[in-house]
Order: sequence, then structure tokens, then C-alpha cells
Amino acid sequence: MQSDKPPLDADEVTEQLTWLAEMLRMDVEKEDLMALSEQLRRIDALEKAALRDVPPILRMDAGWHD
Amino acid sequence: MPAGMTDSRSLINLSILEAATALRRGETTAVALTEAILMRVKETEPMLQAYATLPVDKALAAAQQADRELAAGRDRGPLHGIPIGVKDNCYTMGILTEVGSKVLKGFVPDFDATVVHKLYEAGAILIGKTRCHEWSCGGSDPPTRSPWDLERFPGGSSIGSGVALAARSAFAAIGTDTGGSIRIPASINNLVGMKATYGRVSAYGVLPLAWSLDHVGPLTRTVRDNALMLGAIAGHDPNDANSARVNGADFTAGIDGGARGMRIGIDRAYFLYPGVVDSVRAITEAVINELARLGADIIVVRLPELELTRETQMTIRMVESASYHRHQIREKGHLYSPGTRATLRMGEPILATQYVAALRARELFRSAMKELFRRENLDALISPTIPVPAPLREDVWQARADMENGETPTDGFVRHVYPANLSGQPAISAPGGFTPEGLPVGYQLMGKPFDEATLYRIAFAYEATRDWHRRQPPQVYA
Repeated sequence: MQSDKPPLDADEVTEQLTWLAEMLRMDVEKEDLMALSEQLRRIDALEKAALRDVPPILRMDAGWHD
Repeated sequence: MPAGMTDSRSLINLSILEAATALRRGETTAVALTEAILMRVKETEPMLQAYATLPVDKALAAAQQADRELAAGRDRGPLHGIPIGVKDNCYTMGILTEVGSKVLKGFVPDFDATVVHKLYEAGAILIGKTRCHEWSCGGSDPPTRSPWDLERFPGGSSIGSGVALAARSAFAAIGTDTGGSIRIPASINNLVGMKATYGRVSAYGVLPLAWSLDHVGPLTRTVRDNALMLGAIAGHDPNDANSARVNGADFTAGIDGGARGMRIGIDRAYFLYPGVVDSVRAITEAVINELARLGADIIVVRLPELELTRETQMTIRMVESASYHRHQIREKGHLYSPGTRATLRMGEPILATQYVAALRARELFRSAMKELFRRENLDALISPTIPVPAPLREDVWQARADMENGETPTDGFVRHVYPANLSGQPAISAPGGFTPEGLPVGYQLMGKPFDEATLYRIAFAYEATRDWHRRQPPQVYA
């Protein structure tokens, strides 16, 4: 069952990333972190909306030979 | 010997096919071809800096050997005696391989990348290692300049491969393409660049950027030359875990079959979006119209999943790059340029679950692309290779003045080239025309997995109607 709770919003993803970047001692520009945050927010939203029954690709040539 | 064939300027303008024919007719030699290219290198390198390393003595010795073999009746095929450049991220035994990085300064591999080995087996002469962006990543600024306009972006990351070929200081070159790095320099330099199906060309011995997105492939000045090159380097390689279990092929067979009956899709909403400048739009429409005139069926299609490709590709690329570099950056971070180091570390804070989500999004996209080809019975999808001609070097990462959403030229590049890296399907960029300012514009064909031959067939049909591929850069021929 999918919940009605929305995926992480941009601020939550940014907060998570900022914390991780600090832990990893990354010297990263704020605007780069914001861009990465938006990128990952989109992936999170997509995962919730459309990837439920989609497995990851682990072999790039799987299913190509038919 | 025909008039002019001894003139080095005539030699360097030959296609591979023409040079190979001249060699077998006794009208030239591998040594003459190599010396002509070396002379050209001497002329252009101070300005263009396409090469990182030039093993001149080895090249001349290989050319002498090639001539001896031909004289003795041992003919290795169309690349025999042809001088070729190889991107500096490919291992070359006994020859510097530095991938634009201080980390690998002075590094001399003790084996050849499979692609290099295959070129040697085909009789090609390694004329030099072509410059690339540091670790094939966009965070650095190599000294290489465009022969079309010294102030314009020359392409990347296979920057030296594109420039050397356009400047006639190689007959062909090897590039790699993780996010357009063969097709972008091909488009910008009026060349043919093929990113074949993932796994079609071995990546063994090639320094990675992102394993599941990396492709090795040829840049050439003509479509047929490209097919010859791919024929030499394709094939299963047990040394590469990701190598496809598919035999090599003669990609020139059927190349002159024409475009009649080919079904070519165009997603105008995605690939001709408002960020495509007028000159590129007009050239792309002209290519489409010409293919229709040649008998191709042009099918308007829509693939909404294309909109997923940017964030999906970038997430996968970032994590895989960070995985490859993270220990080395901790140990030798000071040997990376700051921009490259920052770019390569950006994947570190991405969660494993987010990486797997991107792999799942990739499957969603690939399935949708496959279904589109099946449903519409397509042979290819066409688009501009990139939405703009070569921008000024300082503008590559800057917001475009003509776009209100802050889009940069690089944003436009990735929009068009990322999809084929993500799906793994083959994609070719070929010359489509020139802007009024004289800048080359390429068009892209994306095809079905392992069906590179059809892309060559369509591109060859178009090439035969135009002479774009014969145009030479003004800067070095003035």
C-alpha cells in the first residue's frame, strides 16, 4: 500500500544533504547542493509515483536481444 | 602516382577509405601518411593543443612495419597503415596515459586497452594520445582550442579527438562517451561520432567515469570511415564484465541501402524545445526534409519519459564516479583541480536507496524507449545532437541570455545526449550543416540496440546528398 504522505520536499532533501556533506567534510558550494537536492527530490518523487513495480537494471544488455 | 598524391596537404584530407585505396594502389605509403600527419601536427599543435602525448618514433616505426607487411602481402584491412589518435583515458602499453590528471603524471601502462589492442591488430598507427578533460569530467579547462573558432568551446570530454580530426592531424580518433563526450565534439567539429550500443566496444583498460554509462567509440570525418572503425574495435571481450556477448560485424555491409522505407521518429516537444536556437532548428528540419525526400517515413512521436533522463543519468554518474575516486581523493585530493574534485565528490552524499531509485528510473525509461520503437516500428529517432552551435568558451556554464529559465548551454547538451547513455542504445552524430556564422551543426540518430548498421545506412544516405563533411576549419587553413 502506498501512503498518502508526500515524498520529501526540497527543504528536507537539502537538509539531509547538507548534513551528509558536512559529515563527509565536503567543500561544496551552496548552489551546487541546492541543484543536487532538486535532482534527488525528483528521483524520490518519481520513485514514489511510478517505480513501485520497476526493478533496477543490473545487467545493461538484459532484454535487448529479442 | 596521381598528381597531388605526394603533397602532404592532399594526403591529410583523404578519408580512411581513400587513403587505404591509395596505399593498395601504391600511390602512397604508411610512412608518407604518418609523416604528413606529423607535419600537420607540427603546424597545428602550437595553436590547438589537441594531443597530450606524441610518440613520434613509435608511430614512424609502426608505419615502416605496416609498409613492410603490405609489401609482403599481409593486409590487415582498411585501417592498415592509417594514423589514428586515441583519447588519453585509454591504456597504451609503453606510452604515457595521464587522462589530464596530475594523479597519473608520468604513468605508463604495461598493457593496452582492448580498443587499442584491436586497432593495432587492424594495422592502425597510433599517432598520439588526444587530450581530454581531467578524468573525462567537465570540472577542468584543458588548453585545447577549436580550429573552427579559437574562442569557441571545442567540445568535451573527448576534446583532443574532435579537434585533431577536424584539424586534419589524424584520420580518425577514439573517444569515450558517458554523457555525450563523443557526440558533442563530433557535432561541434563537423565530424561523425558513434556511441555504439553499451557493451558493443570493450571498455577494458579505459579509465572509467561511470561504469554503467561509459561507452568507447570512433570519431571520423565520414560515415563510412566510422563504420570501418567500429568494425575494427567492436566485439565481445571476456576481460570486460560489461562486454556484450555479441560478435563484431561488418558495419559497412548495406551502408549504401538508402533511406527509402526507413521509419524515423521525431519527438518535437522534447528535442525541438524552445532552447533549440533557430539556426540549429532550421538545419535539423532540413535534414529531416531531405531524409523524407529520400523516401524515409518521418513519424511524429512523443516519449514523456525523456523528461526523466537528466536527473536519472546524473544521479547514476555522480555515484559511480564518486565510488571510483573516493579513496584516491582522500589520499591525493590535492592533485585534482578544485572543480574536478568537487564534481567527482558530489555523489558521496547520495544515499544508496537514491542510487537504486535512479537505476529503477533507468529501467522505466529504457522500457518506454523500447516500447516506442516497437509500437511505431521505428528504425531511428532523430534530433539535433545539441540545441546550440559551439558557444563561446566562457559561456558554456553561464545562463543563456535568450532563455528565461536560467538554462546554460551545458544544460541543453545533456538534454539531448543523456538519453542514449541512459538507455545504452546506439546513437550517432553526423554533420547536418552550418550556421550563417560558419559553425558546424550536427544531427543525432538514436537506434535499436545492436543495430548501428541502420544508423550508418541513414546517415550515409544523407551524407551522399551534401558536402558538409568536406568543409574544413577556417582557422588553420587561412
